[in-house]
Amino acid sequence: MKRRDFLTTGAISTAGMIFFPGNLLSNSAKTENKKRLVQSLEYKMNDGWKEFELYIDIHIHEPAPGYKYHTLAFNDMIPGPEIRVKAGDKVRVKFINKTDLNHTIHWHGMYVPWRMDGVPFVTQLPVMPNNTFIYEFIAEPEGTHFYHCHWGTLMHMQAGMFGSLIVENDDDIIKKRFPYTREYTLVYSSHDTNYVREEMNGMLERMKQRSYLMKQGRFNHEQWAVFDNKEQLEQSIENGYVPPYATNRRSNAELPQANWFTVNGKSYPSTPYLFIKEKENIRVRLINAGAETHNLHLHGHDFWMVADDGVPLEHPWKRNTVPLAPGKTYDIIIEGKNRGIWTFHDHDVRKVTNNGLYPGGNLLALVYDDLPEDELIITKHSGNPMLNPKAGMKMDMKSGKNNNMKKMLFGDDKLPKIALDE
Amino acid sequence: MKKLKLFIAFFTVLTSGILTSQITPEFEIGAKGVVSGNLNINSEESNAVSDFSDTQLLLGLKQKLYSSWRSDFVVGFQFPDANSNLGQVYFNNVFIKVEDLKNIFKIGRSTALTILNEFPTLRDDDAMKFIYTLNPFSNGDNTERDQYANVLEYTRIVKQRVLISLHGENFYKNDSPDDFKLNSMGFALQYRIPESQKWNRNFLQDIGISFNNYFTNNKSIKSSLKYLIFSTTLNLKPDPINFIDFKFQSIYNFGLTESTNFADYSDYTRSKSTSMFGMIRYIKQKYERLDYQISVGAGYKTFADTDTDQLIFVGNAFYRVGDNFDLGVQYRYTKNNGLAKNLFGENENRIQLAFVYSFDKVFNKQFDNRNSILNLEHKYIK
Repeated sequence: MKRRDFLTTGAISTAGMIFFPGNLLSNSAKTENKKRLVQSLEYKMNDGWKEFELYIDIHIHEPAPGYKYHTLAFNDMIPGPEIRVKAGDKVRVKFINKTDLNHTIHWHGMYVPWRMDGVPFVTQLPVMPNNTFIYEFIAEPEGTHFYHCHWGTLMHMQAGMFGSLIVENDDDIIKKRFPYTREYTLVYSSHDTNYVREEMNGMLERMKQRSYLMKQGRFNHEQWAVFDNKEQLEQSIENGYVPPYATNRRSNAELPQANWFTVNGKSYPSTPYLFIKEKENIRVRLINAGAETHNLHLHGHDFWMVADDGVPLEHPWKRNTVPLAPGKTYDIIIEGKNRGIWTFHDHDVRKVTNNGLYPGGNLLALVYDDLPEDELIITKHSGNPMLNPKAGMKMDMKSGKNNNMKKMLFGDDKLPKIALDE
Repeated sequence: MKKLKLFIAFFTVLTSGILTSQITPEFEIGAKGVVSGNLNINSEESNAVSDFSDTQLLLGLKQKLYSSWRSDFVVGFQFPDANSNLGQVYFNNVFIKVEDLKNIFKIGRSTALTILNEFPTLRDDDAMKFIYTLNPFSNGDNTERDQYANVLEYTRIVKQRVLISLHGENFYKNDSPDDFKLNSMGFALQYRIPESQKWNRNFLQDIGISFNNYFTNNKSIKSSLKYLIFSTTLNLKPDPINFIDFKFQSIYNFGLTESTNFADYSDYTRSKSTSMFGMIRYIKQKYERLDYQISVGAGYKTFADTDTDQLIFVGNAFYRVGDNFDLGVQYRYTKNNGLAKNLFGENENRIQLAFVYSFDKVFNKQFDNRNSILNLEHKYIK
C-alpha cells in the first residue's frame, strides 16, 4: 500500500462515540486508545492460586461505527480479557457458560494437564448451557499465548471467543536485551459475520431441542452425532443412520468467507494506535486468533523478531513484514528511530477492508507521541507546491486559488485524517 | 426512435459506473414442485397420470435501505390447474414489501388475507371452499382468483407476537376483468409465535380473527359481502421428536339477501354460510429433520335459509426420502347436499400419490430476520 493523503471527512461521530479525537497527540486520544487495547482480567488470590473468572454470553459487537452483529464474547468484550500471570503461578479459571450453546476453553500454547486442555470429547465433555468448569494449571511456558473456545471452533472462534494469555518471566531475556516500558497486545481475527449469524441461529434452535430432550433423558448418541467408538458408529450406519457430513447435514453448507478483519475486535477506523517516543523500544505481542494469515507490514521501520509462539528467539532478527498465520504468536520489538506517524497494516490488502470496502480492517498506526504538532500541519510540510509554496520547485500560484484549494480539500489543516472510502 | 436509442445509450453509460458499485441484494429462491397421480371416483374431474398444478417458483431480492428498513422485491409464478382458464403459467406474486421491526407495507399481487392459517394438505386449495373466503366476483373457474389479488397491506407488529393488519384488495372480476379498483377491504388481528419457537409452546401457537368486506354493492345489490374468520393452532404435544398440533379455522359468511338459490358459483360465494375446518398433524423428527408427517382433518359447511351443507374429510401422509424430497399420499372425500349437489356433484373420492420437492434458500445473506432467535432473544439489530 502506498502512503496516501487521507481525504477530509470533517468531525464524525456515531451514536455519541467519537472515535477520532481532533488531535491524535492529545491526552484524550491516548485515553480513547486505552479502550482499544486489551483489557486486563483481575484475579483473586486464594490459597496460593490466582483465581480468574471468565463467563461467556451472547453480545452485540460493533467492529466499526455503524455496523453491529451478534457474537459470542468472554466477559462482554472482544477479544476476551487478557490473563497475565507469572511463569510458575498456580492458575485457576472458573468458566461460566451463560449461553444456550456448548463451549470449552483451550489454552493455546500452554503446558496444561491434559484434562485441562479444553478439547471436547478428547479431554473433557463440553461445558453445557448454564454450567461451570474449573480449569487449573501451572502457568508455563513463558511467553505470548492465547485462549479460545474449542467447541464448534469454526464458528465460535470467529464469533469472538478468544483472548490473550501472557506468561511473564521476571528474568525476561527479551526485556534485558531490548529494554522497554510500554508493550501492546494485538489480537488479530477475521470474521464472516453472515456465517456467524446463520450458525448461531441454527445452533441456538438445535440446542433448545437438545436441552429439552436431555432433560427427559431422550437424547441419544445418534441425535448428538457422538459415538463411543468406531463399532458403535458402524452399527448405527447399518441401522439406517446417515452421518451429518453426508446427506443429513443440519448446519450451514458453505464454509465461511471473511468479510470483516479486526485487531483487538476492531476494524479501521476504530483500530488501536501504537504510541512510541524517539529512542524508545516498545514490545508488540502479535496473536492470530483467526483463520486467515495476516502479512503485517510496518512503514518506516524494521522491527526485531524476538519470540515465536512465546518462545524467546536465541538470535533475534530484523524484518519489516511478518506473516502471522492462524494460531501463531510473534513478539516484536520496535525501536523508535524514525519520528512520524507510520501505518502498520496487513499487506494482503483484501484484509484492509470493511465488508468489501477499502480502507478498513487491519489498518493501524505507529504514532510518535513526541512528534511536534507543527509537523502535522499539511500546508507547512506537504510536498505539494499548490499547498506549500516552500515545497521543492516553486510554482506560480495565485494566492486566491491556493485558499480555495485548501478549503476544498482539507477542513482542518492537519494530518492524519480518517478516510472511509476512496 | 433514434433519439430514444441515444437516450437509452446515454442513460446506460451514465449509470453503469453506479450500477457496478451496487451492494448485491440477498437473493432468495423458493421452489415447490408438486407432482401427483390422481384417481378420482365419482368426480367431474378426470383421473390424471401426472398433475403438476400448484408447482411454483418464487424469486426474492432483499436489501437494507439507507434508513435500516428492509425492502423485498418478489416475483413468482405457478402452474395452475389444467382447466383453470389461466393458461400454462400464472404469475401469482409480483410485489414489493418494505418493513422494519414493527411495520410491514406490501403492495402488488400476492396472497390475500382470505385465510389466516396454513393447513397441511397436499395442495393449498384442497379444502378451498372450507378454508378461504371465496371471491364473490369470480365464476369459480379456478382457485387462484380466491387466493391471490392485487393487494395493499399494512401490518403493525406489537411485541413481536401481535399482528394488526389493514388491507385492501383488487380481486379479479370475471364480468369486468379490466377493473383494477379497490373492491375489498379488511382488518385482521393475530397473535402468532415466531417460527423458531412454535414447537415448544405449551399450548397456543397462534390465534386470530379477521373481518373481510367485498364491495359487491351495485345497482341490483344493496350491500357488501362480509366475512368473519376465526383461526387458531394449538400444540397438543410440544415435543421436538414427536410433535402434534391441531389447526382450526371457522368462517362466517354474512351473505347477501339477494343470493339464496345457488344459481351459479357467484351465488354460492354470496350465500350466508358457516364453515369449520380442522386438522390434526403429527410430525416425526428424529435427527432434527423431518422423517414423516401424518395429518387427518375434516370440515363442515352449512348454509342458512337452505337445506344445504357440505362435508370434507382429508387424510395424508408424507415421508421424507431425502433432503427437500417427500413422497406423499392423500385421500380426500367430499359430500355435497342440497343445492350444493347441483353445483359440485353429490360426492367425490380422490386418492393422490405425489412427489413433493420443496426448496428455500437465501444467497448472499446479509442481515437477520425479525424473528430469528438472535433478534428475538438477544436484542434486535436494525
